[in-house]
Amino acid sequence: MASQVEFDLDLIDSLIEREEATLEPTRRASIAYRATADRFVAGGVASSWQDSPPHAIFIDRGEGNRIWDIDQNEYIDFHLGYGAMVVGHAHPKIVEAIQRQAALGTHFAQPTKHLDVIGENLAERFRLPLWRFCNSGTEATLEAGRLMRANTGRDVLVKIEGTYHGHHDSLMFSVAPDPADMGPREHPNTVAQAMGIPQAFADLVRVVPFNDLDAARRVFAENDGTIAGMIVEPAMMNCGVILPEPGYLQGLKDLCHANGAYLAYDEVKTGATLAYGGASEVFGVTPDIICLAKAIGGGTPCGAIGATRELYQPIVDGTYDMAGTFNGNPLTMAASQAALLEVLVPDAYEGFNRIDKAMKDGLTSVIEKTGLPAYVSGVGAKGSVIYSTTPVREYRDVVGIDERISYLAWLFQQNRGVFKSPWTKQETWTLSVWHTEDDAARYVENFEEFATAVTA
Amino acid sequence: MSATETNAATGTVEIDLALVEELTKREGAALDEKHARSLSYREEAKSHLPGGVSSSWQTWPPHPIYVDRGEGSKVWDIDGNEYVDYHNGYGVMVMGHAHPKIVEAVRDRVAKGTHFAQPTEDALPVAEQLAERTGLPYWRFGNSGTEATLDVVRIMRASTGRDLIVKIEGTYHGHHDALMVSVFPPESDAGPRERPHSVPQSAGLIPGTLESVVCVPFNDLQLAREVFAEHEGKIAGMIVEPVMTNCGVVLPDDGYLQGLKDLCHANGAMFAYDEVKTGFTVARGGAIEAFGVAPDLVAFAKALGAGLPCGAIGGTAEAMAGVISGEIEQVGTFNGNPLTMAVAKVNLTEVLTKRAYERLDELNMILHRCEDVISRYRLPASMKTLGAKGSIDWSTTPIHEYRDLWKIDDRVPQLAWLWQLNRGVFKSPGSKWESWTTSIVMSDADADRYVENFESFASAITQ
Repeated sequence: MASQVEFDLDLIDSLIEREEATLEPTRRASIAYRATADRFVAGGVASSWQDSPPHAIFIDRGEGNRIWDIDQNEYIDFHLGYGAMVVGHAHPKIVEAIQRQAALGTHFAQPTKHLDVIGENLAERFRLPLWRFCNSGTEATLEAGRLMRANTGRDVLVKIEGTYHGHHDSLMFSVAPDPADMGPREHPNTVAQAMGIPQAFADLVRVVPFNDLDAARRVFAENDGTIAGMIVEPAMMNCGVILPEPGYLQGLKDLCHANGAYLAYDEVKTGATLAYGGASEVFGVTPDIICLAKAIGGGTPCGAIGATRELYQPIVDGTYDMAGTFNGNPLTMAASQAALLEVLVPDAYEGFNRIDKAMKDGLTSVIEKTGLPAYVSGVGAKGSVIYSTTPVREYRDVVGIDERISYLAWLFQQNRGVFKSPWTKQETWTLSVWHTEDDAARYVENFEEFATAVTA
Repeated sequence: MSATETNAATGTVEIDLALVEELTKREGAALDEKHARSLSYREEAKSHLPGGVSSSWQTWPPHPIYVDRGEGSKVWDIDGNEYVDYHNGYGVMVMGHAHPKIVEAVRDRVAKGTHFAQPTEDALPVAEQLAERTGLPYWRFGNSGTEATLDVVRIMRASTGRDLIVKIEGTYHGHHDALMVSVFPPESDAGPRERPHSVPQSAGLIPGTLESVVCVPFNDLQLAREVFAEHEGKIAGMIVEPVMTNCGVVLPDDGYLQGLKDLCHANGAMFAYDEVKTGFTVARGGAIEAFGVAPDLVAFAKALGAGLPCGAIGGTAEAMAGVISGEIEQVGTFNGNPLTMAVAKVNLTEVLTKRAYERLDELNMILHRCEDVISRYRLPASMKTLGAKGSIDWSTTPIHEYRDLWKIDDRVPQLAWLWQLNRGVFKSPGSKWESWTTSIVMSDADADRYVENFESFASAITQ
């Protein structure tokens, strides 16, 4: 084992320059297309986060664990559309389900018979009895916030500093706050993540650090009787993969209930990826509400909200509406049914765990060999390399890590046939059911080149 | 026919509500008999779905109807009943169900992958079509009308640094918090017409929402002017449905939309259309084309995606500047989803063509025979159509704004809906004010069916 080295940021800058220069000539079609798309598509892309440095990469097609960009570069896909495609691209069972449903009609705004089948499957996986469907993770967490407020008649929501829960107004705070704005750790400021959100909405959100039960207790004590509920990603997924410490989730649940409030999980990223029953299964604590999206749709726009009978009672009564034209869209439901019942079966998770072990073993041995100040964290289909020598427990532990490190790691993989999620401050990956030990080996091999180069 | 009473002022018959209730009971029982499977399936579905459905608006009285499949202008429920579809999934399926070109587009794209969260090449031709149809140059995509109007409000607030949004009383703009205000306010809560109260449409809205929205009646430019004067320098923008579509089809008065646009601009505010329902239905270029006034920002959804979850926002170069520069993040994992984009491209370039809109006009020629029925039976009703959208309003005077609906008894349109449903026509449930969406694949016989049912209904309620 090599002795630990410090990152040399000058070296990293020069390597970034080298890798960007290597990338550019092989991405000419993407660069040219981006300039054309500018004419009618604002910023050339359909979502701001698709325009990642050094430039947007336009994808042509995908199959299984592979994607091809419009320059016809082939990649092993560890991005998987921000973690949505654990079924892999164009899975034959999903293709068949979608093609069949398209011929039968894709949208009626009336209920169809898929609903109950999927509801039953989700109830079995996540141990919450009742489910509704929508079109994105944003819509799911929007409904979760409203369910908690409507059921308690209270106004305040508690969230974790450094987590993203979609782009609606009620939770778009302290997603990735600038250290200059975030305030003291004991009382983090509620920092708007976007312009155009009235300050009045920020005043109703309290922010606490992850993995700190005492901080949560303090917030409940200071806001006695006004907190409707708390929403957490049971494992934080925007800062690498940060696992909850033993007892933390159960502690939050008990705390919420002792205060007449609800606990909601945002499992948009962890649901059906960490395990068959998502983070709820892995950590053994079932909350009052679970928000799902991404992986459950098999690659179609999707969302779902699971909750207890108590929370859903006002919806059942019709006291208030949870509605949307495309909710339970038959095409989405058909794809979702195939994904959940035919692809993401218990065996699939054994596969994820096997590849996850190969990834972790390989990457850890590279870290030990090169002395890279980093460690590996992950569960099931999700994993990350975190560029820190001390365990990261919360958002503030990662703000000091220089973004250039993970950007360079991304460039190394991109130039060597592996597509990782862009923007990732910490090296996160997603596995699909098609990923093999060879794919893991390629990832590790590229990582070794990167680790060797930065520790040279 | 022999009506029992006649309104002397209007010359129309007085609808006998006792008769309406009796007929509703009869039609409800007839419907139950045809829907044994839907009724029992609902009980099974309740075990895992609140109310047995996926959206509260899928469960209108007397009971939700579970649909099995659709083809062209028809849908079949799980009991095997066939309907001509005037519901069209709340106005989405103006291209008809399982259109061969859409089916083919889905087949092709699904085999190449449906989601990368990276840009793909189909977003550009879709944006180009939208730009050509509306004259607005810049576009972004999302997954629903809700997301689209959410983005529109965010952009208006972010661009102006102001918080207040002006909306029309009685319009729905999706279920995010910012505009879930005064969607269907009850008369008891709505306040004075000149200054309507902001009434929450749902429990659990973010506190502060009501204070950040100011409501005005549709088609009243003077009141809008007063509101802008009262909140000088505080209004970020105004969002309107250029045609109100939740109250039948309420057309804007001449000069109203241009007047609002000028008013917004004179006050440093932005002007936005919610064309989620009117886009691609009232005309090829939506209400922007139909009324010739382009806003700063527009939200589309529904018909754009030919039956896939979809949404889009468009704007002028100035309105979209913050999004283009990246200062305003407009984001979403599924935005520009390749399957949605591939389908939207074919939908706009090959299906919803200029010729297709001519077909909608031909259908309206037939549907307007309902006006003959109205006059022959002296019904207290009037009729409006615009492209694929149409409504029969149970009022002798034209519906001009939301409050005009309060005088209409819900029981009449509810019976009209049941009557059509029992006779092979599926209209949108919950449409208390009889609105419909036609599709470009409807036959003359499909339109005839609607008129025939309407006539037998007219005859029954005027017995």
